[in-house]
Parts: sequence; structure tokens; C-alpha cells
Amino acid sequence: MIRLHLTTALRNLRRSPFQALAAISVLTITFFVATILSLIIYSSNQLLNYFATRPQIIAFIKSDATEEEIKSFREKIENDKRIKNLDYVTKEEALEIYKNATSDNPLLAELVDPSIFPASLEFSVTDLEFADEIIKEVKSEKIVETVGFTASIGKEESLGGVVEKLRSITTYIRVGGVISVAVLGLTSFLVLTVVIGMRIAARKEEIEILSLLGATPGFIRLPVMIEAFSYSFLGVLVGWVAAFILILYLTPSIVNYFGDIPVVPRETGNFFALLGIILLLEMVSGFIISFVGGFLAIARAHRARR
Amino acid sequence: MVEFIKVSKSFGAIKALDDVSFKVEDGEFVFIVGPTGSGKTTLLRLLLGEFRPSSGTIMFNNQDITKIKTRDLPKLRKKIGVVFQDFKLLSERTIRENVEIPLAIHSVETNKWEERLKTVLELVGLSDRADLFPSQLSGGEIQRAAIARALIVNPDLIFADEPTGNLDWETAEGIMTIFRKINEQGKTVIISSHHKDLIAKIGKRVLTLKEGKIISDTKMTGKTRKEKQK
Repeated sequence: MIRLHLTTALRNLRRSPFQALAAISVLTITFFVATILSLIIYSSNQLLNYFATRPQIIAFIKSDATEEEIKSFREKIENDKRIKNLDYVTKEEALEIYKNATSDNPLLAELVDPSIFPASLEFSVTDLEFADEIIKEVKSEKIVETVGFTASIGKEESLGGVVEKLRSITTYIRVGGVISVAVLGLTSFLVLTVVIGMRIAARKEEIEILSLLGATPGFIRLPVMIEAFSYSFLGVLVGWVAAFILILYLTPSIVNYFGDIPVVPRETGNFFALLGIILLLEMVSGFIISFVGGFLAIARAHRARR
Repeated sequence: MVEFIKVSKSFGAIKALDDVSFKVEDGEFVFIVGPTGSGKTTLLRLLLGEFRPSSGTIMFNNQDITKIKTRDLPKLRKKIGVVFQDFKLLSERTIRENVEIPLAIHSVETNKWEERLKTVLELVGLSDRADLFPSQLSGGEIQRAAIARALIVNPDLIFADEPTGNLDWETAEGIMTIFRKINEQGKTVIISSHHKDLIAKIGKRVLTLKEGKIISDTKMTGKTRKEKQK
């Protein structure tokens, strides 16, 4: 029986190829943009996470601080649930880091007095929103000389500014992406509904005959729904494949530009898994669009017949 | 099987059927005759539940179909094999595909389709036309294809609306022979027709409609007017 419905759906597709092409094209554009935006949203999240998990805050300890005072300060920081990735760098370790950094010019290392390198506590915060208050608290400690932070974007002068900048970029991408996909999705939905409506109008006589022969509404509806699903399936597939090719082409440049920041998955398996998940979600979205669009078009045709 | 009890149907000021009552028993062969506009097609459309009567009751297999819900109409229609006056074949489908439609509607298993198709196409003499489109067939062949579609699911009742209209005597006689064969297999057959000589020759029960009323209900002798004159 499904053969008959598939034949009917295929016949309808062939009967008006330009209507079919219009519906598939709009869906293709929608899902092409959706795939690209999904990856951009993923990458911006990765970027934010990267900065959020780096050692961002460095508290330099005064040179006259005793071991007891440093130990007590360390324990206090360690027990703070807003803080993670704590690392204590002694004066000697600081000198080693300096030596390594200037290994190509040993004279620089010899010229400095080891005592000028302060010990420091480096740590990151569980949420960047805590950063400002933690910096204030750490600054108020009597053994702390100064507090610095490593992340810096644009001309922001405080960590709060950096955080805000990152957050606003991510929010703009998310909101812009959602609005773009929503507008394109709505357009696809409307085009699909109109095309299916036209198909039903063209099949009016056939539908009447089927109804007189005892066909149930479900039987009459099925070829129309198969047709709508075909549009969505093809639209999603072509849009996704086009975006996939573009992403594959751009990935080496993206990886090169962002360096250590994993804006796209580095492992091939994870990379394909991410795009696979996007394809799956798009198929589900396409299914919903075609189901609702097809259903509405049929309901409109029913109302018109009455 | 079918009973119309005081059925009237009006379209605005026009009375298509006026207080019509008749009963058709299981396995009967009944002709409904009458001039154009006498209400023959309205009878069929009422029987299919296309519209409801203005008054009266229509019983089919002991069920009052005037009270049937819209969602239950497909169940009713599946029990009636209809040959429409305008054939109602789908022009973009082959004869095979047209005849197969009721099988799909009735959810008959696809492995049984070929056998059933072969049987009905042989009965109506269209075995060699299965893969042609309606536009490639003659009027008589299209009519026979419509009969094949009505028969393929073995319905309880066959209702043919003017199945011999515009056909020559020989072709019309061939069509009537098919209906007689079907009736001999125990099926109830109701045919609306203009072919008075043909009806007389077959010699079955005839209901005559005029201006929406039944004016006679007779059993024909089985002789044509020419034969009677001899």
C-alpha cells in the first residue's frame, strides 16, 4: 500500500517540478544557515569556556610574607568554592620560569637578582561573574602585593570588562543566530504550506474520488505528508552537505587562527559526531516543519471544501 | 439490504426526491429508470452519504445511514461498489493503478492484489489494457474499467449510475452481461439507466422515477419491445 502512496507523492513531485524546487531551495538555505550558525554558536561557547577555565587571576605575595601566612592564605583560597585550578608558584619556580622564557639570552637571567621574583598564587574562577569580587577580596589580604589577570580582549582594563565583552559577543551570536534561523524557518514553513496547499488544490478531483471510494482522511493525507517530508528531507540534507563541505574547507584556517583554543573539535571522531548531532536535530526540525505545514495545508483545504 | 423510507431531498426550492420509499433485498437486481433530473443520481449520492435527506430514513444493512457520523462515512462507502456516471477514473494513473485504489483503501495485502486484478480485468475483458491510461481507451473500455474498480473489493452492493449512457447497443449489452454475471454470484446490483430496450431484455425489477417520485415498481418480462411486437 505504501508503494501506492510513494508513487502518488513522486508523481506530484514530478508534476510541478518548479514548486518542488522552490520549497526545497528555501529549506536548503534555511538548514545551510542553521548548520553554520550552530557551529558558530558551538565555537563561541568553546571560546568562552576556554577563557573561563584559564588561570586568570594571579595574586603576587609580598616578599616579607612568612611561610605561615602564605600557607594560611593558600588554605583559605583552596576552600573557596568559587575558585578552582589553584597553583602556588614559589620565588624559585618564578625564577625558573623567567630563565626558561629567556633561555635564548642567558645574560638576562644572570643580571637579575633571584629575590626580586615574588611568589604567587595563580587560580581561575568557576564563573567569571565572581572574578571582580574575588579580586577585591584577595587585594584586601595583607600579604598580597598586587593582583593581575591574564585574559585581555580589546581595550578592556578590568577582568569584569573582559568577561562582559566575551559574554556580550556570545549573546549577540546566540540571539542573532536564533533570530536568523527563526525567520528562515518561518519562511520555509510558509513556503511549504503554500506549495502543499497548491498541490492539494491541483489534486482536488482525485481527493474527491478517493473520498467517494471510501478512503479515510488519513489515507488521503498520507501522500501529501510524504511529499512534505521529502521536501524537508532533501532541504536538510542538501543544506547540511553544503555547510559541511564549507566547514571542512575552512577548518584548517580556523584551527590555525585560534591556535590552542578548541573552537572546533580537534579529534576527527568528535568533529563528525558534532556535525552528526546537528544533522539529526535539523532532520527533527525539518520533520516538524513539514508535519505542521502539511497538516495546516490539509486542514485549510478541508475548510475550503466545506 | 437497502431501504428508502419516505425519503425527500430538496435543494432550495427544487425537490429532487419526494417521499420516496422502496426496498431492495439481498441478491436482487434492480433498475432505476427515469428521465434526466428525475432524481436517480440523488438516490446514489444519498446512499453514499454525500448529503443527507431533508426527511426520511435510509437503511443499509440494517443501519440508518442518515444518522451516520462524518468520520464513519468511509466505512459505509467501502461496502458499496460504485460505477459513476462520469466514470471518475484518475486520468494520470493507468487502468491497473485505478483499479488497485480500492485494494489500498481496504488495506488488502499486496500479495493478493495481482490475483484479484487479474480476475476482475478478465471479467470485464480488459486484461490486455491494464497498463494503458484512461485517455487511451474507448468509452466502453473506460466504463468497464470503472466496473472493475467497483468490483475488485467484492462489495456487498454494486450501484451503477448510467453505466451504459452514450454507448452503442452492442457495448451496452456487454456491460449489462457483466452486471448479470455479478448478480448471479449473489451480489446486489442497482443500476440507473436510460436503455429501456436493454432493461426490458434483461427482465429484472424496474423502479421508475419521475420528478422525484416513484411512479412504478414492476418486474419486466425479459423481452424487448421489438420482440413483444412480433
